[in-house]
Amino acid sequence: MRSRITRHLWPILGAPIPVRREPDGAPAAEQIVPETPPLELSGRDYAISLLRLAAEIEHGLMVQYLFAAYSLDPPGAPAAQRPMVRRWQEAILGIAKEEMAHLVTVQNLLTALGGPLQFNREDFPHDTVLYPSGFRLRPLSLPSLATYVVAESPEVWEGEQADRIKQQAAAEVGGTVNRVGRLYEELIDVIGDPALVPDSTFDAASMPFQASWDEWGRGYRRGERGRQAASDPDAPAVPELIIDTVDSRTTAIAALEQVGEQGEGFGMPRDEDESHFERFLKVHQEFENLSEDERRALVRDIATNPTTDLSGPDVGADPADTETTSPIANPTARLWAHLFNVRYRKLLVSLSHAFELAENRTGSGSPGPRGSLIHRAFAEMYNLRSIAGLLVSLPLDHAEPDAARAGPPFQMPHTLMLPHDEDDRWRLHRDLLDAAATLVARIGAVDGAGTAHDYLTALAQADRIEREQVDALIAGTARAPVGAPTP
Amino acid sequence: MIHELRILPSLAIARFGSAPTPMDNYDAVVDAAEPLGYRTLRPAETLEIDVDSGEIVRALVPDALSFTENGAVRPVAPFLEVWALIGDEGLTGGGRLEPLTTALLEEEGTSAGDLRWQVQLANLKVMRRTGNAADAVRADSGEFSDHVRRALDGTCDNFVRGRTIGFGHVQYIRPTASHPQIRLRFTPAAGRIYGPTRSPFPNAPVPDPNVSEAVYDAQRGGWDGYRDVGGPQDTAPGGIYAGRRVGNNQVSSGYLDDGCDGVVRVSLELGGRTLRALGRVGAGPPAYAPDALPIRTVADELEQALFGPTVDPAEATFERVEEIVRRAFETVRLLNTGFHNEDWGWAGGAPFMASSLVDPIAVENLHQSLLVALRSGTAPWFGDVLRDHDAAGDRTFRGRRRMPAMMRGADGQLLTLTRRQVALIRALAQGPLFESEEPES
Repeated sequence: MRSRITRHLWPILGAPIPVRREPDGAPAAEQIVPETPPLELSGRDYAISLLRLAAEIEHGLMVQYLFAAYSLDPPGAPAAQRPMVRRWQEAILGIAKEEMAHLVTVQNLLTALGGPLQFNREDFPHDTVLYPSGFRLRPLSLPSLATYVVAESPEVWEGEQADRIKQQAAAEVGGTVNRVGRLYEELIDVIGDPALVPDSTFDAASMPFQASWDEWGRGYRRGERGRQAASDPDAPAVPELIIDTVDSRTTAIAALEQVGEQGEGFGMPRDEDESHFERFLKVHQEFENLSEDERRALVRDIATNPTTDLSGPDVGADPADTETTSPIANPTARLWAHLFNVRYRKLLVSLSHAFELAENRTGSGSPGPRGSLIHRAFAEMYNLRSIAGLLVSLPLDHAEPDAARAGPPFQMPHTLMLPHDEDDRWRLHRDLLDAAATLVARIGAVDGAGTAHDYLTALAQADRIEREQVDALIAGTARAPVGAPTP
Repeated sequence: MIHELRILPSLAIARFGSAPTPMDNYDAVVDAAEPLGYRTLRPAETLEIDVDSGEIVRALVPDALSFTENGAVRPVAPFLEVWALIGDEGLTGGGRLEPLTTALLEEEGTSAGDLRWQVQLANLKVMRRTGNAADAVRADSGEFSDHVRRALDGTCDNFVRGRTIGFGHVQYIRPTASHPQIRLRFTPAAGRIYGPTRSPFPNAPVPDPNVSEAVYDAQRGGWDGYRDVGGPQDTAPGGIYAGRRVGNNQVSSGYLDDGCDGVVRVSLELGGRTLRALGRVGAGPPAYAPDALPIRTVADELEQALFGPTVDPAEATFERVEEIVRRAFETVRLLNTGFHNEDWGWAGGAPFMASSLVDPIAVENLHQSLLVALRSGTAPWFGDVLRDHDAAGDRTFRGRRRMPAMMRGADGQLLTLTRRQVALIRALAQGPLFESEEPES
């Protein structure tokens, strides 16, 4: 599966490719030089394949960062260190949110180039030539932090600290951790070249279908949202959420540069915002200064790669990877994990569905269901956080109640392709609500007290309200959306 | 012994109504099974008064609630109870508050007939603008100890001679064996509009359909035709009285209403001492959405006045923040968010949110999803989008996006939560991301 993509990615590495496998590591007798675009692909098609890979990577990073953030600040963490660990947590959550914005911006680029959207990613992909490292859901640790720092690092990052962190990262993944920035550099080269991607490729008419910052950034410009860490009055302002729309080569390059800059900083930040690299590096420094025991006290004991699949490692897991997956044996936690997966799918379906509906840009017209889908996507983000919060407190295995906790599995659905017919798309939403209702009832029967009960009761009602609205949309009896009165 | 007297509640707000029977008592409660729904109005114990005798004839919990009676709105008529602080010292010295009853009075060698009441009400809204003391409308019950229902008719120097505005009634409830407590009931007025004389003949018909009676002598007072002059004495915002636009001015139509507020005093001579207590009453419009609460209420103001603008982190509970969020979507439910995004009328300018996002139901659903998440024990993450109290005048796009959005305060500026409400949400946000609820191992 991965080879479908990787076989086109050699140009980025720039190194000659041996035409045959030589025995015992002998030097290649014969090599070819990768071409751009790769044979079989046009320039536009190559750009689209790179963008789709970028989307996968942003998506994967976002999920891994969320998992890492949720692993912090266990009950009983030392009070003196709680402000610091909450600051880390919010810094990482902030980065994850920005990765989400990058993911959306990449979809805009795909839309402008006329490529298929990419909300998919593999659960446990091999280490491709461009993936920063193997995809792993793991609680925060010094080595995992090192991989994040390196993945977000700029092209030139040298010195004792750089060497040390790169070594930590390499030891963690068993090889080199790739920089995300390299992919964006290649994208800028390809999309910036009119010979590869002609001007006519950029479809300005696709703008109403793209995600706008007004909608997805909720209109908060740099620093306007508030502080980076709600828990810390002295924290810096929240950085810019980059959600760029694209209607030309110029706007496409600007979007790619901004996304790249927010990741690694490119060494020369154009503004005061810290890059992901800098923010991760700061967390790493503070984490590294603690003793092993102190670190352990700040991180929950959560299973690595928790999964509802009891049959073992997912297809695609590296056989050499001893971590593989952690099946959730605890039936209550497993039900919550299934519910988590349904909400995750619902988020992704809402996102991709929103891209199918044009934004009404007249300003005073009636808003359509696109706005509802965007709100629903945010609501599902809240749900994912809520269920993750419950999962990190439930034992992975009920037979070992004092051992590791479960965690959010973030398992991908069997498909993210949307039906062609609009009514069928709403039927998919209804299917997901029905699946959620079944799980809510099942969980309620076994975990029906306290916070879990309060949450499930409210969630069930919210879902009933949504289902009625979805039913009305399918039946064509939905109330006309209300907007400003027509003058 | 009785150390002091108190009137409780110390502030009671009545609601207008022209029906003869006051509204029944009820609680607005959240249905545990439908936490996102409308509050359930649950009938509560209601005291039925015989107006002639002044006695409570029965206490009942109604089967159902009706806000109207033969098409007329039933007024909300609060009781003010007298409580006694028992003991030689104050509350801090170990004293305790208990309802003042006939038995307690007898113990002290006195009786219910020895209590003296006085109620003074006023509507100073016109005087507030014209600065003319002759425009004050006042009513004074004088001292009384009997149980006769008293009309409180407001008089004003600038009224047509002999005409008044009825502010409602007060009645000292006659204690009985089954209801021995000492209490007074305030029944507000109907909620009518009064107007000025439009001709030299005070008895001429009033052509204005809003006006129930012409009481204001427009020949004598200056309220009819008054306009705010833009000086420091104007309200903020100015010109918020019924009238017509003439150029840039709002010219008053000379309306008055029977809204009022005032004080209720009670005193008792006891062992050579005079014990006194004071309560306050006000009257305002009926609640037409009684199953919802506004996001900021007088109760929030009072709480802030009493306890200050900051909170102890221990006070920041999920339940309290959930209640604020619930009131947010209850308020959103009543808004045409699409309209207000265009900011017609009072803030001017272009839409400040993407038009696709402002469908009222979608916005209500989004706010409901906040409540759902809070119920999981997830710390609120929205403390930083709240409008600070000193940013009420920030009408930039950025300022208008802050929460609560699309609402205005009484000062005509963008509404903010109280500083205490904001502090409550932010204090909870500073706690753990996930509320700890480790299952027992």
